[in-house]
Formats: sequence, C-alpha cells, structure tokens
Amino acid sequence: MSATRTDSVHPPSLQASSLDTEKHIKYWLRCLKSPLPHHYISNDSNRMCIAFFIYSALDILNVLDASVTPTERAEHVDWVYRCQLPEGGFRMFPGSGFGKLRNEQNRKWDPPTLPATFFAIQTLAVMKDDFHRLNKRGILEWLPKLQREDGSFGQMLIDGVIEGGHDSRFGYMATGVRWMLRGTVEGSLDGIPDIDMEGFCHCVEESQTYDGGISEAPFHEAHAGFEFCATSALSLLGRLPQSSNTALEVPSKGLTQLDSTVQWLVSRQTATLDEEDEFDTNSDETDTSMTCHDSHSFVKLRSFPSKAGEMSYQDRSTAHFELQWAGFNGRPNKVADTCYAWWVYGTLSILNKQHLVDAEACRRYLLDKAQHMIGGFGKMPGDPPDIYHSFLGLATLALQPESGLKGFDPALCITKEAKQYIESLQWRKAAISGASDSLNSSLSSTSSESTNTTSQSTISSDSPNIEKNFSYLAISGG
Amino acid sequence: MGLYSESPDWADIEPIPQDEGGPNPLAAIHYSEEYSEAMGYLRAVMARNEMSSRALALTEDIIDMNPAHYTIWLYRAEILFAIKADLHQELEWLNETALAHQKNYQIWNHRQTVVDRVGSPAGEAEFIARMFEKDAKNYHVWSYRQWLVRRFDLWEKGELEDVELLLKHDIRNNSAWNHRWFIVFGRDDSAVAGDVIQREMDYAKDAIRLAPQNQSPWNYLKGVTRRAGNPMSSLKDFASEFASIERPNEVRSSYALDLLAEIYSQESDGKLDAAVALDLLAKHYDPIRANYWNYRKALLEQPATAA
Ligand SMILES: [Zn+2]
Repeated sequence: MSATRTDSVHPPSLQASSLDTEKHIKYWLRCLKSPLPHHYISNDSNRMCIAFFIYSALDILNVLDASVTPTERAEHVDWVYRCQLPEGGFRMFPGSGFGKLRNEQNRKWDPPTLPATFFAIQTLAVMKDDFHRLNKRGILEWLPKLQREDGSFGQMLIDGVIEGGHDSRFGYMATGVRWMLRGTVEGSLDGIPDIDMEGFCHCVEESQTYDGGISEAPFHEAHAGFEFCATSALSLLGRLPQSSNTALEVPSKGLTQLDSTVQWLVSRQTATLDEEDEFDTNSDETDTSMTCHDSHSFVKLRSFPSKAGEMSYQDRSTAHFELQWAGFNGRPNKVADTCYAWWVYGTLSILNKQHLVDAEACRRYLLDKAQHMIGGFGKMPGDPPDIYHSFLGLATLALQPESGLKGFDPALCITKEAKQYIESLQWRKAAISGASDSLNSSLSSTSSESTNTTSQSTISSDSPNIEKNFSYLAISGG
Repeated sequence: MGLYSESPDWADIEPIPQDEGGPNPLAAIHYSEEYSEAMGYLRAVMARNEMSSRALALTEDIIDMNPAHYTIWLYRAEILFAIKADLHQELEWLNETALAHQKNYQIWNHRQTVVDRVGSPAGEAEFIARMFEKDAKNYHVWSYRQWLVRRFDLWEKGELEDVELLLKHDIRNNSAWNHRWFIVFGRDDSAVAGDVIQREMDYAKDAIRLAPQNQSPWNYLKGVTRRAGNPMSSLKDFASEFASIERPNEVRSSYALDLLAEIYSQESDGKLDAAVALDLLAKHYDPIRANYWNYRKALLEQPATAA
C-alpha cells in the first residue's frame, strides 16, 4: 500500500508543535472588524452563532480588552439586543426582521429560536453585559413551552407548534439558558414553571445506542455531537451520574451505561486523518481506501513497537511516528475532523475522563495538521480555516489547557472567566439563594430600571407588556 | 437593476431592506446583490403572509443561496398546501436541492412534510440510493429513512436486503449496521425470535471473519448478545479465533482482544489474563488508547462493583 500523506507532508522530526497565537488573533479580529466573505451567505441565518464564536474566540485569546474599544463593545451589545424579541428570546439574524411592519399575524416568520437565545446570552456574558435589558422572565416562561410530551425540546414555536428536530441539541441549549438565568434551582421560580427535568433525562436515556453511544433519537446512529449535547445538558441540570453537584437523591437517569459511553468516546480517537489514507490492516481483508477508515489504530506487534503502554497514562509520549497525530471522528469508521476533537474531548472533560485519551496527540493533530498558516483551523489537514472549526479547535486546546489561552468550561462552551462572571451577577445570586421562600419577593420586583437602556431597541414595537417583562430580575448589574 | 425590481410581476411589492439598526453589527456578511435583493422581497411577502406561486419561486431562489434559513421552509410548506401546488414537482426540486446541499437538515424535515402529505413512499428508495452514491453515511438521510420505514410500514419491504448490499460495498459503513439494528430490533417491544438472534449473530460473525479489524460488526455482535440476555463469555470461542494471549504475535483484531479482556475480567481467576490482554492493547495493538487500556487494567484491581 502507498505511503500515507502524513509521511509526505510532514518531515520526520519531533519539533514542538506550537500555537501561532498572533495569527489566530489576526484571524478573529478580521472576522470581528470586517464583513465576512460572501460564502458565509449560506450562514446568514446563523449570525448570532457566528457572533458568539467570534467574541468567545477573542475572549479565549485574551485580547478583548486590548482590541475592542468600550464604544465598539457597547455597539456590539446593542446589536445583540436588537435581536431580542418581545415574545421572549432572540432571533438568529436581522434578516428575518420586518421592522415596523412586524405584527401579530406575521411574527411567526420571525420567531425567537432556542439556539439564537442560547448564543445571545452566552455572547452577552462574554461581553460582560449587565443583563439589564435581557427579558429573563419572558425567556424562562418560554422555555417549557418548547418542550414536547416526550421530553425533547424543539427549536421554535410557530402557530403553537414546536418545530425543529427531537434531538438533544435543543435540549442542550434549553438547559444552558436555564443554567445561565436560574442556575440549578429546580421547580417553579417566581411563578415561572420549570422544564420537565425527568422527561428530558428520559429522552436522553432512550437515545443511548447498542454500541454505547448517544444518538439523535432512539435507534438512530450514535454521534459525538449528540453525545456532547446530551452530556452537557445533564451536567447543566446537575444530573450526571455521580455528579458531585447533585444535591438531590434521584436515581441516575439519563446516562445509564456510563462505562460503555466512555469507551465509545475514547474509541473516537483515530490517526486516520485523510480519506486518502491507505493502510492495510490484514492481508486477508478486502480493504480499500474507501472502506479502511480506522486502520491506523491497529498496529502490528513486530513492525511498530510502542513505548506508550509502558508508561503511566498521566504522562507519556507515543513512540510510534504516525500515532503522534491523532484527531477524533464523530462516528465509528469515519475519518478525523477538527470539530469532533471538541465534541469528543469536550464530552470526556465534562465526564472528567479526558485523561483516558491521548490529549497530546490530539493537540499535535490540531496544531500540526488542522491549524492554518493564516490563523484559524480547517476541518481537515490542508483545508482553509472556517469560523466553526476555528472556534472549536481553539476551544479544544483551551480545555487541555494551552498556555496563552484562558481556561475553558466545556459544558457552557465559554471561558471559565465568563462563567464566573455569570455566577457573580447579583440578580442571579438572589434568584438562586432565595429559591426556598424569599423567591417571590426578589424576583417579582418590576423595577423601572429597565428603562435605563443605553440605546433604543426594536422590541417595543408591538408589545405593551414589554417594559414589565423586560425588568424581570433587573435588580442590579454585575 | 435586479431580478425582482425590474420584473413586472413584482412591481406591486415594496421590498423591506435589512435593518442592522446601528453601527458595528456583529457577523456582518458581504452579501451579494442577488441575495440582498431577494431577501428584501422575501421579507415583504412574508410580512404580508402572501401565499402565491411567485412567493414559492422566490423561496426557491433564496434556499439555493441560504438553505439554512429556518422559517423559509415552513413558509414554503404553507404556500405549497395553500395554493395546492403539485407535490411531485416539489419532490423533484427537493431531489436536486438535497444533492446540492448534502449537509442541510431543513431539507429533510421539509421532505418529510411533503411525503407525509403525498401519502406514498413511491420513488423515495431510488432517491435515497442516489444520495448514498454521494455519501452512504449521510446522517440526515439515514434518519429520514427511519421515518419512512415507520410512516409507511416498510419493515419487510427490502430494507434488510438493501442494508446487505450497502455493507457488501463497504463493510465498515456503521450507518448501515445501525440501520440493520433498527430494522431487526426497532419494530416494537415484542421479543425478537431466537432464530432471528442466531441469524444476526451469524451475520456479524461472517462480517468479522471478512475484516477482523472493523469495530462496527463487533459492536453489533456485542449488542445482539446483550439484547438476547446472553453473557459475553458466550463469545469467548469466537473472539479467540482472532486473538489469544498465548500467541501475542498473532493478534488479528484489537476488538477481539478487548472482548477477551472483558470476558476474562468476569471470570473468577481471570484478572491476570485480562491484564495481559489489556497490556497487549496498550503496548502493541491499540497504543492510541494506551491511557484507556491502562485505566481498564487499574479497574481490575478494584473490588467488583455492581455493574
Ligand atoms: Zn467538522
């Protein structure tokens, strides 16, 4: 069989891989300060998500204060708030707005969506906004309405129908929003009903697969993205098995086959980095480049002895040349892809099992193979960078951790600093600590502070209740 | 100067320009003129809730540029039903759109809406085959296929045979393996007959004999064993065809070694053998996961916990 691309592209040296921080900063500042190229048109309706990636990446790189002036930041904050809708929640992009023509009849085409709301609140946290203008009550009242009978969440409500898939992505975002606005307090909060926790956990449990993974829905194929969403969601609800922050004595629902789940995740690491990789595993097999996707995990004893196993799993290096670079795939027998380094390594980090994979080989894969010379990361070796893979590649490194990058929280997908900022907010503390009986008094104060918005907003166009809704929890800033 | 502004068909419509509302918008995109113009008209017809064939054509134009637009698909479906459009024509258009935008989810949700309304799966198998020619592991297509099977009761309409064809082409297609599981075990809660269990075990074993270093049939085999309520030790002889700790140079499958380690660890005096198997994995046969195999080895030392 032919030599792998790995051999031809990279000289056989062991020089230290490094993160080209300056290039990444340049890449992300370009994304922040100038319009994205036209091929992002196909992502026009994901602009809030892109905004989050850009701001959060610059936060990871620790350059927000140095690179964004207070005025610019205030204008960015205003942009996010202009996507807030009177019904509670955010739209994903200005392109769906009708301006002054928005009314009861047509607003269904310009609805708040769960992803937009999740990314908007995350972005506001990264921006260290004080959340005064956030319609917290409206959002929390809207969340349970997005949950179906089967426990799953949808993307949005249109004409009273919950639209969007039944998979754990929306459940993840719902639990993320819930955590950011009310922590892990369970049950009704100031008259706002909670989501159906048991129903959601049941839904996750049902999506576990015969091979130990987690899928989109019962009987669908296990997939690392859904694995991440389900695990993060349980973590944000305090419902991970043996999770230390579970105050309640509930039976472990959700992830009920943890050992298999961990093995499924660990099995995603692969040195098969390119569709063109060819590597015969066994002469009696009918392998071709089309079928042989995971061959690099299988190494013959005499040809490639490895020192790896002789060392402890905390601190070791792989002696075998090709195995120095190992990324992650999202499903069995698929090729590695930068974003799955995040979905898999992130999930393992939430489960506190990240030491079971070869983090160093993953780091080298990201830095030597996926990192692009203009900054950012591509999907696969040699690919140009895109915002999605660039952010998730950077976030994975920040988890490991990587010097020069801020520490990162896997479940919330923001820096630890941004998470601490959310936890420090006074209105949130009051809501959480008053959860037993001082709740009502602290949450129902409809102060007039909400009128102190720093800029005008499009949201007051068709709702007389907006001022009242707006002031929910607006007790004080951060 | 645009497709719409110059057309007499659209003369009565005042486009709604996009409003960023202030300076320094985030994630602004360098829009093409075509896209900006079409979106202005889309907002205008959506704002009027217009149900017309011109609006239908407009959604096509925009979907081609931005298929991820989340409400345009629902709007399109509403128009289709309101103006009683030809749904077979819709499916033909969807075929080309799906082939052009492989990774888009909304397309499949829309297809489900349309096919549900049509009330027949005719032609769907052929189209799915076309999609699989491009990517036989396309997640959206497999999910859609499960919906089709349930909606039209296609359990015994060639699904198993088709899976076998796909696996003949690529025995490592995990999506096809998963679909096989769905067809065999996903039908209802009733027990699966013993001869079916045997058939599935044999099928997975044959696939493993063809390509021992393939995780998909190993996972399938273990899944069937668990589902049938049989102990993993019932696979010991089979796993031994591909790996033995007595002959460490002749291991043909890391998955066999893993399974043997699991079986040994459950035997009363098998801990040492399990450790040898795990060592072989860590040092020689699956060093990428050395940390994991060493962790499994460390677990052997711990007193048995309720599984
Ligand atoms: Zn990717």
